Amino acid sequence: MIRRIPWWLGGVLMALLLMFSFSYAGAGRPIGASTYVPYFAGIIFDLDPEKYTYLKEIHNAGSWEGVMLLGALVGGFFTAIFVTKSFRLSVVPTAWKKYKNDSVLSRLIWSFVSGFFLIIGARLAGGCTSGHFLSGMSQTAISGMIFGGVVLTTLLVTGRLFYKKEARNV
Amino acid sequence: MFERIMSMFSTVAAEEHGSVLLVFIIGVLFGAIIQYTRADKFEKIAGFAMLKDTVVPKMLFLAIGLASIGLYFLIESGYAHYHVKPVMLGGLVLGGIIFGIAMAIMGKCPGTGPISIAEGRIDVMVGAIGGILGGLVFTVYYDQFKLIMGPSFGKMTLTTLFVGHETLSVLIFGIGLVIISIMIPLREEFDEADLEQLN
Repeated sequence: MIRRIPWWLGGVLMALLLMFSFSYAGAGRPIGASTYVPYFAGIIFDLDPEKYTYLKEIHNAGSWEGVMLLGALVGGFFTAIFVTKSFRLSVVPTAWKKYKNDSVLSRLIWSFVSGFFLIIGARLAGGCTSGHFLSGMSQTAISGMIFGGVVLTTLLVTGRLFYKKEARNV
Repeated sequence: MFERIMSMFSTVAAEEHGSVLLVFIIGVLFGAIIQYTRADKFEKIAGFAMLKDTVVPKMLFLAIGLASIGLYFLIESGYAHYHVKPVMLGGLVLGGIIFGIAMAIMGKCPGTGPISIAEGRIDVMVGAIGGILGGLVFTVYYDQFKLIMGPSFGKMTLTTLFVGHETLSVLIFGIGLVIISIMIPLREEFDEADLEQLN
C-alpha cells in the first residue's frame, strides 16, 4: 500500500489549518505561498529594499511566508522520510516519461522556464493556488474566483495540447 | 545576507500575525498535509491538467467549501476577519493565464514546489531557480508590470454582493463546492515508486 491519507481527509485537514491560520488564536491572516519568492530573490541578489518599491510592499508578507515556507520544507521532508517513505532523488517524473519524453534536458529546461513564468504569473495576479484559491475563495472573494476560473481553464487546455494523449511504455 | 535572513524572523516576531514558532508550525503542518496526501507529485497536478488524476481538484474544492463556511461563522463570532484581495482584472486574467500554463507544464504550484523539493525532486529545484529569477524580474520591472495589472474593481466577496443574504450565499457556495468535490470522479495517476508500493 502507498502510505498516504485519502483526498477527503487532506481536504478536511487543510480546511482546519486554513481556519486556524485565519483565526486570532492562530496567525490572524490567510495562508499564501508565492510572495516569499520575490522576497527571497531580494535577499539572494541583495536588492536594496529602499530602491525597489515592490520589496517594500511585500516586506511583511514575504517575511511571514518565508518563515512558513521553512516550516513547509521541514514538514515535507520529515513526512517524506518517516511517514510516506517517499524520499528519493529523481529528475524526470514518471508521467513526464509516459506522456512527454525521456529526455532529462527537456524536463530541466521546461521546468526552469515554467518555474520562471509560474512566479511572474502569480505575482501579476497577486496570488497563487494558496493565496487566491485556498485562502481567497474560502473568503468567497471574487478575485479568487476569477483567478480560479482562468487558471482551471488554461491548465486543462495546456494539459491537452502539451502532453500526448496516449501513454508510451516506460 | 545573514542580516536580512535574521530580519525576516524579527519582522515576523514584531508583527501581530503569530510568533515565529507558530508561523513555522503552520508551515510544518501545511507541508505535512500536502506530502501525506501526495498532492505535491507531478502526477497529481500535471495529471489533473491531462484529466488523468483528480485528487488535487477534489481536495482543493472540499477544503475551500468547508473553510468558506467555517471561516464565515468564525468571523461572525468575532474570532477572525476577512483579508480580501482586490479584483485587479488585468493582473488576474493575464497572470492567471500565465500561471495556468506554467502549472500544467511544471506540475507544481509555488506552494507544492518546495514540498516536492523536500522529497528529492531535482527538476523542481531547477524550476525553483527559474522561479527566483522570475521573482527578480518582477521586482526590478514592477513599475512596468503594474501598468497591465489594473483596472481595480475593489475588494468584492459574495457577502458584499448579496447584502442581506450573506449567510445563505456563503452556505450555497460552500455546500455547492463540497458537492462538486464529491461528484468529481476519482481518477489516479501514479509514479514508479508508488506503483512499486502498490504491487
